[in-house]
Amino acid sequence: MDWECCWDRDTVVMGECPNITEGDEDLLASKARRILEKCCECERFRRDLGRFNESGHPLAPIFAVLHNDYRRQKSQIQSLVSFLDSKTLETRFLHELGSVLQSSVDLDEVLSVALTAITAGKGFGMNRAFLLLADQERHLLRGHLAIGPRSIEEAGQTWQEIVSNDMDLQTMARSFQQYKLRSERDKFQDILDKLVVPLDDLNHIIVRVFEDKYPLLVHDAFNNPAVDPAFARLMGVDTFLVLPLISRHRRIGAIIADNFITHRPITDDDLRSIETFAFPVAFAIERASLYDRLQEQVDKLQLANQKLQEQQELLVRMEKMALVGRITSSVAHSIRNPLTVIGGFARSILKTTAPTDAKRGFIESIVTETQQLEGVLDEVLTYSDSLYPTRDMWDVNQLVETAQREIQDRLIRQDFTVHSHPGQNLPPVWVDYKQTAYCIRTIILEDMDGLEHGNISISVAQHGSEIDIRIEDKDRKLSEDELEAMLTPFAETCQMGSGLSLALCRSMLDKQNIPFLVVAPPEGGVVYTIKLPTRKEELL
Amino acid sequence: MSRLLVVDDEANIRLLYSAELTEEGYEVETAATISEALEKLAQQNFDLVLLDIKLKNESGIELLQKIVKERHDMPVILCSAFSSYKDDFSAWLADSYVVKSGDLTELKEEVKRVLEKKAQRRAAGL
Repeated sequence: MDWECCWDRDTVVMGECPNITEGDEDLLASKARRILEKCCECERFRRDLGRFNESGHPLAPIFAVLHNDYRRQKSQIQSLVSFLDSKTLETRFLHELGSVLQSSVDLDEVLSVALTAITAGKGFGMNRAFLLLADQERHLLRGHLAIGPRSIEEAGQTWQEIVSNDMDLQTMARSFQQYKLRSERDKFQDILDKLVVPLDDLNHIIVRVFEDKYPLLVHDAFNNPAVDPAFARLMGVDTFLVLPLISRHRRIGAIIADNFITHRPITDDDLRSIETFAFPVAFAIERASLYDRLQEQVDKLQLANQKLQEQQELLVRMEKMALVGRITSSVAHSIRNPLTVIGGFARSILKTTAPTDAKRGFIESIVTETQQLEGVLDEVLTYSDSLYPTRDMWDVNQLVETAQREIQDRLIRQDFTVHSHPGQNLPPVWVDYKQTAYCIRTIILEDMDGLEHGNISISVAQHGSEIDIRIEDKDRKLSEDELEAMLTPFAETCQMGSGLSLALCRSMLDKQNIPFLVVAPPEGGVVYTIKLPTRKEELL
Repeated sequence: MSRLLVVDDEANIRLLYSAELTEEGYEVETAATISEALEKLAQQNFDLVLLDIKLKNESGIELLQKIVKERHDMPVILCSAFSSYKDDFSAWLADSYVVKSGDLTELKEEVKRVLEKKAQRRAAGL
């Protein structure tokens, strides 16, 4: 019998068998392999087998049975190999995913990896993914992050970029976290804001998925009675899958994924693959969240530690302050008593000394000099007292009124009238009361110095976050040089004071970061302005 | 005539205050220590105590507290070399305070004011 197929020949040449092509040259001389790999699938062989069958040979039907079974088994093996290949790829992918998830404690990185894995072609290849996270009290699920295109144009562009970059999962996730996390969140913010699901709403499809602890593929969402119509409209797709993220019985969150652009059907195989992905993601999210909270506590602890250190430094400063206080008290006592005795006795003697007595001038000098020394001592002691201001919130009108009352006798003696204009509905000011009151008193007294009568106006008013105390004497005339000298320590002026008082005021107010302005316009008058803060921060 | 007790560890201060206040018409006794002051307060009647805060190895505030506790109707004027004593809340128990100065005008005015106030309170039966 002449056979159409080449199965009966030990060797063939290229071109004799239509199934042997370039690359299969080794089959030309290998008869057994050629029969198994090529002839069994060849139409010529089938026709030869048919003719053999028709020949009536008793072995012919057996050959037909063996041939059919061989082909069936071969097909099964091929499909198993294909399945094995896909599972190998999936295992590799999950291994890669697991490695990345296990090594990260950064919540944003974990979320980026999870959502990238769902949407990447090398991953599960879904078009869009939405992540909802449970709040700390586990009362609500809230939309947290989403990824994917919102239009076909955007999809084409994004997928083209992915193909051209050819990145592995980790690189892709890092790139997403670095460049797209924020923009993707913004892009989907309208949907994310509405993705709020109370965890006690047992009728909601997502909450029900938690009960089943298994991913759910939702079909026909717009007509599905199990799906809230508003939720279906929000998602805008007919088919989507919901993946519960559960870690050690705790509901961490959920992922909703769909093929919004391609509408590729989501299969049960997709669902099974994605199920294996849920646990490591949930675990990684929980771990990263815990790490975040731990970091928060560490930060708080560091802050507390810093505050403790500041308190310790403050304590040291307070001890220094106490020491300064003791020293100044001791110095004051040592100098003040002799001055009091010298000045006091000089005044006593002066009272009984006749105006014509030649020694009267000497005694008057002693009185004047001791008086001046007492003034200097007062200023030096007040300055040392001012080195460590103690601030608190105070009523500014009360502060001005008290300062004015304390010098009331002097005002009356010198025939000075003070016109007060307190502010209305003012917030409290953050100042050292004693020092600020001293400054107000000193400004008024320095202004009055050397005059027999006059008028001073004091007004209090709020300007933004500051409260201005404005002390104005329209009758006083000062040149620029005199003004400068007045505010310079130890520079005496003909016009006013010992030369230290206003400079001391400026120094005191400077230490509290309180602006102190003195303006003497050429047309006359002097305006002193103290700008008091109403907020603590302004002094920091 | 009002009787005053001046308590100060500085002899010259005692002498100055004594002379000046006597000239103002007061009868003045002096004491250099707390124990001497307490002794005089126990033995004699006074209308007012002028008290230095910083006594040698002693605190005038201690004496002030004892006077307020045992003789609550006795007015006390604190005299100090430095105004920071106002920061001590106990000093607030005093009826008045003056910073020491060669010009005794303020001291004399305060003595007069406090004594007048005491007289008014007595008249009102307080």
